Amino acid sequence: MHGWIGRCLRVNLTKNDFKLEEIPQELMDKFLGGRGLGVKILYDEIDPTVNPLSPDNKLIFVSGPLVGTGAVTGASCNVVTKSALSGTIACAKLRGHFGAELKYSGLDMIIVEGKAEFPVIISIMDDKIVIKPALEYWGRTTSETENMFKSSLSDKWAARDTYLLSIGPAGEKLVPLANIINDGFLSVGGAGIGAVMGSKNLKAIAVKGNHSVTVADGNRFVQVVTTLINKLNSAPLISQSMSSWGSAFLVGLCNQKGILPFKNFQSSSFEESKHIGTEALSSAFVLRSRGCFACPIACIKKVDVDNRFYKGKGMAPTYMAIGALGLNCGITDLTNIGIANMICGEMGLDPIAAGGTIATAMELEEKGLLTKDSLKLDFRFGNGEDLIQALTLMATKKGYARRIGQGAKALAEEYGHPELFMGVKSIPLAPFDPRSLQGMGLHFVTSNYGPHHLYAYTFIDEVLSVHEKLDPWTTEGKPEFVKRLQDITAVVDSLGLCNWSLMGLKFNNFIPMINSCLGTSYKAEDLLQTGERIWNLERQFNMRAGFNRSHDILPERFYNEPIEDGPAKGQISRADEMLNDYYKLRGWDEEGRPGNELSESL
Amino acid sequence: MARIKIDHNKCTGCRHCEIACSFNHVAGVANPRRARIRVFREGATYFPTIAGPFVDAACTSKNDLIIGDQTYDMCLICRASCPEKPFFIEAETDFPLKCDFCGIPPSPSCVRWCNSGALELVED
Ligand code: SF4
Ligand code: SF4
Ligand code: SF4
Repeated sequence: MHGWIGRCLRVNLTKNDFKLEEIPQELMDKFLGGRGLGVKILYDEIDPTVNPLSPDNKLIFVSGPLVGTGAVTGASCNVVTKSALSGTIACAKLRGHFGAELKYSGLDMIIVEGKAEFPVIISIMDDKIVIKPALEYWGRTTSETENMFKSSLSDKWAARDTYLLSIGPAGEKLVPLANIINDGFLSVGGAGIGAVMGSKNLKAIAVKGNHSVTVADGNRFVQVVTTLINKLNSAPLISQSMSSWGSAFLVGLCNQKGILPFKNFQSSSFEESKHIGTEALSSAFVLRSRGCFACPIACIKKVDVDNRFYKGKGMAPTYMAIGALGLNCGITDLTNIGIANMICGEMGLDPIAAGGTIATAMELEEKGLLTKDSLKLDFRFGNGEDLIQALTLMATKKGYARRIGQGAKALAEEYGHPELFMGVKSIPLAPFDPRSLQGMGLHFVTSNYGPHHLYAYTFIDEVLSVHEKLDPWTTEGKPEFVKRLQDITAVVDSLGLCNWSLMGLKFNNFIPMINSCLGTSYKAEDLLQTGERIWNLERQFNMRAGFNRSHDILPERFYNEPIEDGPAKGQISRADEMLNDYYKLRGWDEEGRPGNELSESL
Repeated sequence: MARIKIDHNKCTGCRHCEIACSFNHVAGVANPRRARIRVFREGATYFPTIAGPFVDAACTSKNDLIIGDQTYDMCLICRASCPEKPFFIEAETDFPLKCDFCGIPPSPSCVRWCNSGALELVED
């Protein structure tokens, strides 16, 4: 067995017990690993209608087979569960070094069941598995948790090789917007997962090990990886943009195309982009590049901050943070956006879900639908202090912030204006306006994980033209394109690679790396078929959880209110028109149900 | 003579060098604990450290290392495969690991996979 370890740890927190299990070869062949395997296990083992915060929900941490092998960007560990925010299936992507260390501890996967009586940490150190009481960690931020755990180890050298994932106060308090943090990195798409971990009284997982990961054809693999590193290096989008600025370099570009949302998607252009572009970023912060395990791109930028709101190290704002926590809340001050992003990391909040909620509150207030009395907090578009204060309170469920912590949708409904919630399936939209990016709009409505761009990054072709040049405004060919990219992403996630690598490499470029690693002879089509299988299984889970065609829709604003000004003036979303074609391509019926044949082939 | 120049300001902490080294010494096996180069984090800085021989004398003159306003423990960046620090002792075999300056030409494995430029092959 190559790439794979073939072992899984099953922890039952109710019984305070665990056991090691073999993972059947058949499952690995059919679902690859990572996201695919996690989805399969969740589908088989839980009732999709279960309350996400009940002990019957399960949390699955699973690294892909390419993680830890040195495959380029092979760092990702997925967390699969039923989301506390949306009620759909959820799959976060953890970056950094946790996923690789999980493999070196001799495991591909950890399945967590039940609920501990009191807060615990699962510690897997050199094959010694312990469920440790963690009362003193409860209430701590994520970086405090990491430091406390490492300094509690008697061997200071071992502490340096230990990697942790944890939840912050937000997850403990079961705030549905809570996320999981590892190695100081915010996970991607983690909204609704932190609270599930909190509901199990699981504060953190620590891993360290001495196991090896083997690859099938060592010489060939080393050759292929070397080629891919050079290829990435010669792709200007990677070497000149991502490596220097991280995804923040997209801000200027998106602004020029009228894609960046402003003030809860009320407009999509913002005149002074120089305040938020890369130059502004480098004058606001001293950036240090950080790479996830085995990543030649190193898009993560770390910074130090020391001011009256915040002191410490954190991640520099990414495109997502600048869009979701900044511009969509009308805020253009990068320092405030950066601090808000770091608070999300420390408190364990998801920036898209939290930012979307605050943007909704701000629009409610702007329209006079929210008086200061009702929430006892100010929500003024453009006011960074309001944002920072709301985030901190929301994570700790203090006072009135308890109510905004329930999320954008609940808030908009509570004040009688559900139409002001800018999201799909209870999850706020990632900061891309679906009116000026038709493919992204279709992906947002059909995504099994809610409207998150990193489950099909249509942007790379609709704007950056990396693999093919597509017109962002046309719907022509988009259903095929979106389906293909969704399937590709399912494969990339399942193998444990980073989505950003697709900005410099074509899907076909990965095939020799995959085959020489796993000892397989996959062709691109075989893998795409697996991607489709995973996508259908996720859809099936959501259908059984009560979702159907009526949930595959964007807020009315995007269908009815054309973009008012800027480069994409006059555009509306036509995601609804593409839906039938998309269903047909997937082989689903008009209600969006995968047919019996498809279900059986799962 | 060729040698490897390390610039810790450029290091991103990706640890690709560790895996490259591991593959070079045991075909098909990725395991950072078998690598003869390890990357240690201290505060905000990463220190790629290449394993060298252990001589008792090295420890008798141990000093603190001060870079900027940070003080570092000499042991951390010391390259000796010494018994006090388990990093350059292979876990399974207790074998002391030492860089054998592999792979020239064209260049050592760790340098080849280091994309940030933190490791560089230079001629003296
Ligand atoms: S591209 Fe960025 S997020 Fe992806 S693996 Fe590399 S450093 Fe991590
Ligand atoms: S030169 Fe070769 S042996 Fe020495 S650290 Fe680099 S890869 Fe390892
Ligand atoms: S490969 Fe280079 S950048 Fe990455 S950890 Fe090693 S020395 Fe640092």
